[in-house]
Amino acid sequence: MSKQPLREYQHPDVMTNDLFLSGEALIELMRAVHSKGLPFRFNAGGHSMAPFIRDGDVISVSPISSRLPDPGDVVAFLHPETKLLCIHRVLSGNKDAFLLQGDNMLGKPDGVIPRKAIMGLVTRVERRGRRVRLGLGPERRLIALFNHWGLLAVIRQHAAPLYAYFRGRQRP
Amino acid sequence: MKNIRLDLIYAHSNDVVAREIDGALIIVPLTSGVGDMEDDLFSMNETGTKIWKMLDGKKTVTAVVAVLSGEYQAESGEIERDVIGIVEELLKRRMIVEATVT
Repeated sequence: MSKQPLREYQHPDVMTNDLFLSGEALIELMRAVHSKGLPFRFNAGGHSMAPFIRDGDVISVSPISSRLPDPGDVVAFLHPETKLLCIHRVLSGNKDAFLLQGDNMLGKPDGVIPRKAIMGLVTRVERRGRRVRLGLGPERRLIALFNHWGLLAVIRQHAAPLYAYFRGRQRP
Repeated sequence: MKNIRLDLIYAHSNDVVAREIDGALIIVPLTSGVGDMEDDLFSMNETGTKIWKMLDGKKTVTAVVAVLSGEYQAESGEIERDVIGIVEELLKRRMIVEATVT
């Protein structure tokens, strides 16, 4: 029997950070972390949940264990058509399926998403190192309702100048 | 730094999750009860991945060195030095622990 020739040796290396991960890889790692019952923290990309979750915000997605998502909750799910990991808000639902839509996706719901496609609940949002609570508290139900009725964009349109005005006044 | 003994056995820590994705090993530390992709994420090259897989709570460091020496062409002592080095680094990062053999 012939012996296999030895392969060229490469020193072992541990590389840190700055790894580009595909959506599939992110989903696989999220499942692995959730299997330990722990939240998964990562950098969110995109604008579909603006202004409550912005491009570059760091979000924590907790596994769904004790309760099903309610209207207003923000969930991570695997889009059945695009197979991409998405973060959108629950507008309505029952124990089997949910109607989801991004806060910045007026009139463009994701359709009915089956329960099994829901990967977890967004439980924390951080922006530039600070926790952002608006959009995940009790007001989340109102946001879902306004979004469902198509009023969220109108409210944002009128609220934005007021917000900018008061923010400007607070600055020294 | 703690001296690595060749007769010791090491195993993956419960404080990490590791998955091989598209041929690359990705390790996510479970820092403060969170799987944290944001602050620290680790990946290993092919040799590192092989060593990681062999730190399975069953093989001694000597056994790991022997397997690699039978597979790769390297200078005398080079593989042993590398395995010790990577075990030290993984211990420092709390990704592996000394296994208790019963």
